[in-house]
Amino acid sequence: MIQHKEQWLEQASRKIKVPAELIAKAFRDELEGSPAMDAPLEIPDIMDITYKYSYGGISRFFRELRDNRKLYGSRCTQCGKVWLPPRINCNECYAPTKWVELGDTAEVMTYTIVYYGTSTFFDKVPYVCAFVKVKGADTLIMQNIFLKDIRTAKVGMKVKIQFKDQRNGDMGDFWYVPADDGHDHV
Amino acid sequence: MNKVAIVGFGTTPFRARWIEKTYYELAYDAAKLALEDAGIDKKEVGGVVYGIYNELFERQFMPDVYVHNYIGMGLKPSVRVATGGATGGAAVFVGWTWIASGLYDIVMVLGVEKATDNYNYTVGHATPETLKAILFSGDMTFENPSGLTAAASYALPLIAHIDRYGSPTQKQMAMVAVKNHKNAMNNPNAQSPKLLSVDDVLGSKMITYPFKFYDNCLYSEGASAVVLASERVARSLSDTPAWITGVGLSLDKAFAGERDDITVFSSSVHAGRDAYKMAGIKEPARELDFAELHDAFTGAEILSYEAFGFCRPGEGGRLIEDGVVEMAGSLPVNPSGGLIGCGHAVGATGVMQTGEAALQVQGRAGKRQVKGARKGLVQSIGGPATAWTAALLVEHIDQVKAKSLIKPPAGSRRKRKKK
Ligand SMILES: [Zn+2]
Repeated sequence: MIQHKEQWLEQASRKIKVPAELIAKAFRDELEGSPAMDAPLEIPDIMDITYKYSYGGISRFFRELRDNRKLYGSRCTQCGKVWLPPRINCNECYAPTKWVELGDTAEVMTYTIVYYGTSTFFDKVPYVCAFVKVKGADTLIMQNIFLKDIRTAKVGMKVKIQFKDQRNGDMGDFWYVPADDGHDHV
Repeated sequence: MNKVAIVGFGTTPFRARWIEKTYYELAYDAAKLALEDAGIDKKEVGGVVYGIYNELFERQFMPDVYVHNYIGMGLKPSVRVATGGATGGAAVFVGWTWIASGLYDIVMVLGVEKATDNYNYTVGHATPETLKAILFSGDMTFENPSGLTAAASYALPLIAHIDRYGSPTQKQMAMVAVKNHKNAMNNPNAQSPKLLSVDDVLGSKMITYPFKFYDNCLYSEGASAVVLASERVARSLSDTPAWITGVGLSLDKAFAGERDDITVFSSSVHAGRDAYKMAGIKEPARELDFAELHDAFTGAEILSYEAFGFCRPGEGGRLIEDGVVEMAGSLPVNPSGGLIGCGHAVGATGVMQTGEAALQVQGRAGKRQVKGARKGLVQSIGGPATAWTAALLVEHIDQVKAKSLIKPPAGSRRKRKKK
């Protein structure tokens, strides 16, 4: 049995960044009961790392999103293929690419609706994950589609880009909404 | 290339949680069982290939180092394979090359995985954290932020397939769920043996469109090991070695949006083609007696029928409707229960399915035995979006009476007693 329960909970809470009362609930047996010496002993733990991650050669893509509400792809200087997600070189030609601004519209090529997500997405379900073909790009990109009625999602649906007001320079800065609808959905 | 046989198989039961064992303790159990089944001592093992998928599941990076030590293989050659859901099959592939090359005579392939030591304190169970740990496998810059889950990455090609062909239908997928849960009732190591009706599946809650609850495999914990041997050793150890006569491994474009045809499991097409070619298989639907496929989701099993040429593109759903892939059909798929019925202890899964295929061709599969099984296909798929496939052909070949010419390795018991 755990001695100094309050201290143990406080330390565990700080360590795994979870409120003490939730930890107390999960460890009720160990805190209140008297498990056998050989009973499996569980511990609260966490593995986390913080980053200052560099986008490297595709930094411009995210600056254009964040600062200018613009979506860029990259065109291969040799075969002309327009990549989105962008890349600074073409893996077919092994040649460099050049930045090219893409259109606001796209077509849904396939999609799915997530009803049960990870803990990061608890407040977002249900949501649509789709592969869309953006006007001017030769590849598809994964992005969320926001719909008033999620059941209206379908392959072939025409959508248009919408930018977040406060952009951070990541893929969360934009999403798509039906092209024939002028209203915001978020 | 030298011939390679499976001469031993051991597995722990697959369970939702093995609270009483760590990953290395589970690995020990599987290793012990596999060595006993092969009738050899650990000293005779030339090297070990580990299949362990996710560091965050194990709460340990380089977990193979600790397994290798724990099972007493110190100083022997070892490498870890981590190819997402395809980890088990790909580990067997690598073990196969170690023997086919002539480098070693006996290689152990050991897959192990925990998953539910992850814990979400808000909801009081593992799943959201387990999903989160998997989501780190989606491209962190472009795909992780969209909330892609493992189920979603299978659903995306599937929805495109349904849009093109009108199949598989929700009912056809439900029939796969019924079949694999039912098959698992014959497997003592299975996590989800269940007699379900199609309506039970259709009535279960939607998890990721179009997958209902019973269309999904569950997270499992467990360990499985196979002992592979060169022809010389295999014939001395067993009257009925299970030969791996064909192997294939393929890794598709990471971003599914860059692929030529999003409705096709292209890595399975390629890995299957290579394995078939090596094994001399021209008409898989006619020549194969069974298959252990990677049914992480029901729809994935159906698309795999098509990828492996059991039928033409768009016709996969008919194989389940016509009963072809049922235990009584001409090409039973997942007699073990597969991932849906037996479970998905990721790194162990493909090793378990390889071992199950060996039991089948050796006639040792008990209640789940496919009558007269001589040739089976094993598939392991890994993400993102089915990028990886390992394919293996496991076969019974009539024994050439040359055993007396072969000297068994020192210290080995001569023959495994047949069940
Ligand atoms: Zn190019």
